[in-house]
Amino acid sequence: MKKKNGSSLLGGDWLASIGASFISIIIGLLFGFLFLIVLSLINSDGEGFRSIFSTAWKYGFKQILMGGFYLPPISLGQEIAAAAPLILTGLSVGFAFKTGLFNIGAAGQYTLGAFGALFCAIVLGLPWWACLIGATLFGALWGAIPGIFKAYLNIHEVITSIMFNWIGLYAVNTIMYGGGSGVMYDSSKTKVWDLRSLFPASVIPNLGLATFFKNRSTTIAIFLAIIIAIIIYIIIDKTTFGYELKACGYNKSAARYAGISEKKNIVLSMIIAGALAGFGAGLYYLSGIAEWKPLDSTALPAIGFNGIAVALLASSNPIGTIFSALFISHITTGGSLMNSQYFPPEIADIISGIIIYLCAFSLLFKQLLMKRGSQRHSAELLDSTLKEPPHIDSLVPESDIPESGEASGKGDDY
Amino acid sequence: MLLAKYTLLYSVVLMLVALGGAFTEHSGVINIALEGTMTIGGLVGVLALVVLPPETSAFMIILVSVLAAGLAGIVYTSLLAFASVNLKADQTIGGTALNLLATALAVVIVRRFNSGTQSAKLTYNNEPFLFNIGGLTVNIFLFIGIALLIIAIIVMYKTRFGLRLRACGEHPQAADSVGINVYKMRWWGVLISGFLGGIGGFAYIVPAVQTWNFEVGVAGMGFLALAVMIFGQWKPGRIFFAAMFFAVFKSMANIADSTFLAALEWPKEVYNMMPFIASMIILAFTSKKSRAPKAEGIPYDKSGR
Amino acid sequence: MGEKGVIGLADAEYIIEMLNITKEFPGVKANDNITLQLKKGEIHALLGENGAGKSTLMSVLFGLYQADEGIIKKNGEVVKISNPNDANEQNIGMVHQHFMLVECFSVLDNIILGVEPTKLGMLQENEGRQKVVELSNKYGLHVEPDALIEDISVGMQQRVEILKMLYRDNEILIFDEPTAVLTPQEIQELMEIMRNFTREGKSILFITHKLQEIMDVSDRVTVLRRGKYIGTVNTAETTVEELSSMMVGRPVSFLVEKSDRKPGEIILDVDGVTVSSRLHKNNAVKNVSFNVRQGEIVCLAGIEGNGQDELVYALTGLEKQSAGNITLCGQDISKASIRDRSIDGMSHIPADRHKFGLILDYTLEQNLVLECYWEPEFQKRGFIRFDAVREYSDKLIEQYDVRSGQGSATIVRSMSGGNQQKAIVAREIDKDPELLVAVQPTRGLDVGAIEYIHKQLVAQRDQGKAVLLVSLELDEVMNVSDRILVMYEGEIVGEFEPKKTTVDELGLYMAGAKRDNGRRDLT
Repeated sequence: MKKKNGSSLLGGDWLASIGASFISIIIGLLFGFLFLIVLSLINSDGEGFRSIFSTAWKYGFKQILMGGFYLPPISLGQEIAAAAPLILTGLSVGFAFKTGLFNIGAAGQYTLGAFGALFCAIVLGLPWWACLIGATLFGALWGAIPGIFKAYLNIHEVITSIMFNWIGLYAVNTIMYGGGSGVMYDSSKTKVWDLRSLFPASVIPNLGLATFFKNRSTTIAIFLAIIIAIIIYIIIDKTTFGYELKACGYNKSAARYAGISEKKNIVLSMIIAGALAGFGAGLYYLSGIAEWKPLDSTALPAIGFNGIAVALLASSNPIGTIFSALFISHITTGGSLMNSQYFPPEIADIISGIIIYLCAFSLLFKQLLMKRGSQRHSAELLDSTLKEPPHIDSLVPESDIPESGEASGKGDDY
Repeated sequence: MLLAKYTLLYSVVLMLVALGGAFTEHSGVINIALEGTMTIGGLVGVLALVVLPPETSAFMIILVSVLAAGLAGIVYTSLLAFASVNLKADQTIGGTALNLLATALAVVIVRRFNSGTQSAKLTYNNEPFLFNIGGLTVNIFLFIGIALLIIAIIVMYKTRFGLRLRACGEHPQAADSVGINVYKMRWWGVLISGFLGGIGGFAYIVPAVQTWNFEVGVAGMGFLALAVMIFGQWKPGRIFFAAMFFAVFKSMANIADSTFLAALEWPKEVYNMMPFIASMIILAFTSKKSRAPKAEGIPYDKSGR
Repeated sequence: MGEKGVIGLADAEYIIEMLNITKEFPGVKANDNITLQLKKGEIHALLGENGAGKSTLMSVLFGLYQADEGIIKKNGEVVKISNPNDANEQNIGMVHQHFMLVECFSVLDNIILGVEPTKLGMLQENEGRQKVVELSNKYGLHVEPDALIEDISVGMQQRVEILKMLYRDNEILIFDEPTAVLTPQEIQELMEIMRNFTREGKSILFITHKLQEIMDVSDRVTVLRRGKYIGTVNTAETTVEELSSMMVGRPVSFLVEKSDRKPGEIILDVDGVTVSSRLHKNNAVKNVSFNVRQGEIVCLAGIEGNGQDELVYALTGLEKQSAGNITLCGQDISKASIRDRSIDGMSHIPADRHKFGLILDYTLEQNLVLECYWEPEFQKRGFIRFDAVREYSDKLIEQYDVRSGQGSATIVRSMSGGNQQKAIVAREIDKDPELLVAVQPTRGLDVGAIEYIHKQLVAQRDQGKAVLLVSLELDEVMNVSDRILVMYEGEIVGEFEPKKTTVDELGLYMAGAKRDNGRRDLT
């Protein structure tokens, strides 16, 4: 395999990574199909197996597989519109992964980003691009918090993120609702004001895409998302900053040895991850796809968590994230198009969930693939790929863990 | 009064689930799938409730549905146990996956149960679980919860099992060197949290209302329980008080609009935020001395000696 | 040197026999056909340097590893020990070098863990406590049963480990480097305790590299070197000199060509440096002072674990010293960051190449610029200049003969150990440092690679650079260095010139049998 000058997708075994992702996808889809069959069976009233199978196919699985192509152009437009913010949350989680951090706070950063976007639009009356910047800044702020807690107080980012997800949600909803008379709140609809009718300058332009897809929500957001993905790819692979971040993610000790400041990089990485999620929220809410509901504080934006699936599927590769986001959006759109009389759209979420679960041990798949494939260095790579790069810290602060056997490497002290 | 009613309700739920989480973490596995476990356990418990014939005695209703909830929790978390212990997969990713799956699964199952309507709601009779003590409506889970708390304390600190479990989370090599099977212990730890989490989910849903919309899962209680566990420093006694503390705030949020608190004119979300903010403050100050089980989150590999 | 076996005793007198034990790990034969026989009621020392195979052998006996070949006999009968439980059933117990204690548990809980007295699953702590107190009094092992491990002294922690064995009625007790963490007073106490055990009829195996202790307390000594059995002697009939000889053997004579040089100015000055230890309350490095000049190779010799690693960490900035100053080229770098030290002229070839020296998942070229990627040559406004990096990497690969599957684009993980090390050496030397710190640079390498690296070190020295070499291999120490400083228990106990000393003498100092006092540097 020829390697491009200076870049490598995932340490040389990128083919195996893609393969592992495909395996997860296929198994996930199969399980989904199985689910549909079972549901169809439960509802069958004694029909023959043929009929059960075809119901599952015709009214369920076919839609999932076809996704937005089932009812073009509207559904296709929907799929594209939904993919844009998902690319961003996927990038958010993936970027943090590269530095060895698990950004489970993408949902909270997304929430803050939504606030930022809507605040700029409604209260400040800014044009759409300024609102996007506002969204990004708010997201970045919320990302910085777990970063700082981790770097300086040694508190695991998962804990801080989960807490601040909820703090963020409650805070944002309180402010937006404003006791029923908040500036941003439309009490007649119990939602935030509809941007398209009242603040059209804040809505992201669509340059004719809306007409093409017969869908008002399809804007240039998707292009912006792809551009950001490319920028992130450049940052990670082509800059010294990206070099340092990856070093921290792959091997903290060696990064220290090289004089790289771990604390600084942790905070910066989380700030960027937060910014990405915030930008994603901006893309969503400034496209007018839906309005924020400040009265609903029971759940965090699911897109924050779907970003985890997207990142894992793409092995945190920014360009891959574009495709995995499109895929998740594809099956989610397909899920919503299934005949809801028979099958609920949540089937798509189940498939996503299964795929994430499988990604948790995608390493196993990779090893299996490398055993089969005839890569030249497969033997050594196999033996030494016992740790999934990048390594994510345990919840226990490092200083508490005694170094067993010192830094004298493996196989000392015979 | 309402405040007391809600506080008792929430504190029992939080305590049960946090206890379960503590068992897992003491054995060395991080379990952030508490939210999902609660949802699934709650779902199965409610289904049992709905499905049982109306003539069944109250005692049987309680027994069967609670056990069903607990059992469902065990089965669901065995997925986490398998991935984390046997396959040594990343525990936070596995837990996140289970959370995402749970709500989706719950909705699908309920919709199917409701004969394919759009409704993800289940309605049930929660009378067997409630009764009156001097004008205060109290539910049976209070007693179940306290009983389980006492059992948990005894098991954790007074039995051989508890000692070995904790050893696996603190220093698995030491446990291994005295002949303890770390893998088996960790499975137990995870399954216990499944049992308690499942019951906790059921305890959250049933007593308060007669209808539950499963689209919301358990509305974040699982994550709140995680915070309770950390706040309580993984110790059952402290978890009990932490649960009360958090429950008070959550109840205040519930009643903020309608009672004396309305006079303060604080939006209810403020109360919801407080426990989380309090946790972060505590964590900030005690992170140096935080006594998380030393070896948690690190998959145990015998060959890595 | 011929073998001195112990001849002609009846088998029944041996309580444990390990016969023809061979154990291999990938790439190295830790135990090569070793035979060890332990008599009932004796204190039998197991002596050897690092890599000799002592710990592996005892781990086999305790069931932590399984031997590839050979058998173990107890009281003349063959037994199979596949795990610590089996060992326990054979009444074998072990006090590990790194204690296997749960910090937040009490002394009592640690002792009974795994063999808890219970009734219906409930712990019967009082029963346990009674037995512990009995044993404690009987053997003079003072402990506080309810104290937490994290609160007690290291000496008491060790007594807890010992009580673990006694509680299980172990008769064969293995001690792995027990005195490393003890004060002199505690060491004396431990020896008395060991003698008490043998008076009771228990048998003791104890692993050590400290000659004086062997002379003080053991009955017989078995010496291992590089995985092979060298011999067994009666302590009463031998001397430290003889033991030291057996331990280190004759140096291999592939001489390194070195011309005489006169060292120039002081490049590195270490003054009164003390570094605390992560493992125990004693300091790892105690008030160490020395210097290294231009054009000389100074070697810190010593057995692993005597403070060399911690000293190097303090020098390079990976850890902070608790006292003392470090000066590089006249500038005080005691508080400087790791990067600043590197920029000021220090290069570091680390002992653990996988942990510190390389990012295994990066390519060869990415690793080769690890210490200079920020320089204007390799980046422009934050963007990596890939052509420059590739050119530099190709140059180094050719110059230093670093072999890899795909050249600069190879993922380092797939390279052989020798070439990985060459890459690190290439990178560090090409920085043109004033001071090169090389820690065990030839560990695990084949003869060709070793020769190559030695050549590089000498070349640096010939160009007038200062080289601080830390090595465990005495032949390397003797052949490569200009000046040798022996470290023992965190202090520099002797200074030598290779031409004026012998390997045997070094061995004595390394094992603590001899020490000098006074200032460390000559000239």
